[in-house]
Amino acid sequence: MARKRHTIQWPWRGLLVVILLGIAIGLWVATKRVNYEWRWERVPQYFFYQHEEAQTAPVAGAVVRISPNGGYSLVEIAPKGGGQSDTVRVETDTLEIKAGDTVSEGDDIGAERQWKIGPLIWGLWVTIWISFVSGFIGLIIGLITGLCRISKNPTLRGLAVFYIELIRGTPLLVQIFIFYFFIGTVLNLDRTVAGVGALALFVGAYTAEIIRAGIQSIPKGQTEAARSLGMSATETMIHIVLPQAFKRVLPPLAGQFISLIKDSSLVSVIAITDLTKSGREIITSSFATFEIWFTVALLYLVITSVLSQLLFWLERRFARSD
Amino acid sequence: MIEVKHLIKVFEGRGQVVRAVDDVSTQVAKGEVVVIIGPSGSGKSTFLRCLNGLEEFDDGQVVIDGIDLTESKTNLNAVRREVGMVFQHFNLFPHKTVLENVTLAQRVVRKRKPAEANDKAIKLLTKVGIAEKANEYPSRLSGGQQQRVAIARALAMDPKVMLFDEPTSALDPEMVGEVLDVMKQLAREGMTMAVVTHEMGFAREVANRVLFMDFGRILEDAPPAKFFTAPKEPRAQTFLKQVL
Repeated sequence: MARKRHTIQWPWRGLLVVILLGIAIGLWVATKRVNYEWRWERVPQYFFYQHEEAQTAPVAGAVVRISPNGGYSLVEIAPKGGGQSDTVRVETDTLEIKAGDTVSEGDDIGAERQWKIGPLIWGLWVTIWISFVSGFIGLIIGLITGLCRISKNPTLRGLAVFYIELIRGTPLLVQIFIFYFFIGTVLNLDRTVAGVGALALFVGAYTAEIIRAGIQSIPKGQTEAARSLGMSATETMIHIVLPQAFKRVLPPLAGQFISLIKDSSLVSVIAITDLTKSGREIITSSFATFEIWFTVALLYLVITSVLSQLLFWLERRFARSD
Repeated sequence: MIEVKHLIKVFEGRGQVVRAVDDVSTQVAKGEVVVIIGPSGSGKSTFLRCLNGLEEFDDGQVVIDGIDLTESKTNLNAVRREVGMVFQHFNLFPHKTVLENVTLAQRVVRKRKPAEANDKAIKLLTKVGIAEKANEYPSRLSGGQQQRVAIARALAMDPKVMLFDEPTSALDPEMVGEVLDVMKQLAREGMTMAVVTHEMGFAREVANRVLFMDFGRILEDAPPAKFFTAPKEPRAQTFLKQVL
């Protein structure tokens, strides 16, 4: 029976939908049982919020004129002692005075509203840039260590092995603490530098092994062909081996960087306000524990899926020569 | 052009010691075509690879165009520029187009300008009959086409000697001819060539000398007419009986 058979797909798809629905209903029932009151409406303000800034009278005097203009009004105040009148801009619905009122210096006139970026967006941004910077540094460390790992020089090879084993054999959380409390204190490092450094060293060790495997997976004939044309070992590495190796290691490298984004949440333990720490801070003021954690998880999911799409696209571009 | 004296190459591994090239001495004159034949495992490929230093040998001396490979101040890369090599499995660079395969070493090693390297590459690709595939990637080419590109790639360095390591062994039978034709043309143009091959027809037609190798030694060194009709060595006689 080697002939291709067409199995019917739709019952299985239906089953998938039923299972997913079952999970969703289960979650809903579970929250009902603990009497949790969902307050999703509290979440958006932590992305963006309107900040109201009270506007006060700059001088004592009389309100000469209030000219409404769209959503806001221009309040003109003539100083008591005469001279150039001052204009204050406030939102119309926050006006606390009428034309003809007298005001003293510092009296509330109204308020001006401004859209501000909330802590979730800030946290997201911190997570993105910390991951990006430590990923970039980690890639360079990994490349150098990977090359040392396959070097003929026993010193370089030994150092690379020592570094890789040291990092891979200890938990990242412990590494971050050591980096911050020990190395950070000795070298007087800022907490952000310590966090980025710890992450970069961590990802560098894993990247080194990936790159080593990639380089060793390139057939020997490639190096021989390049060397037989008179290219030096370095030229061969740059023009022949590394481009091919990089293409091969792109999928595992992508996995490593996606891990890095998630692992970067650990830097919140040294009080770097990344996405995770922002979430924890918001919960203390909003009490919307479930909503915020779900939102934080979703935001991580968004970054990692964007990254994996990006790398998938890169992979397809590299596949042109296949 | 090539002078080899008492060349010894020993492979050691898992308690076994194999003398792949065992005290080989020979020379190849300028413009000469030398074909090396012999059973598999006889050390002919290893011998060829010693000639451009791809294989580090244990003892002996290899002199290419007056430059001694064993001397410590010899720049191997500089010697290899002058010695082209064609491999059994082509070893084209899969991430580069055909044109880039032929221009890369010209630019990196010979420091030629891109336009100059391109001209040279197109000329050579036309010569091996594959110019229309210049912008394809090697994976789109048949084995015979890939091997012709590999020959063009080696020729682009203007080598004084060409080494061929079983250039047709990995090819489908119908593609062997097109590669051999290019090699014959090269031989006619006076290129110095050392060819390891199983193509007895090519040896008979093109070679000035045939070297028969077995157990890492050159057992017979004779012009093809003499070698194929009246081989002296019993090993050569049995080998010829098997392949012809």
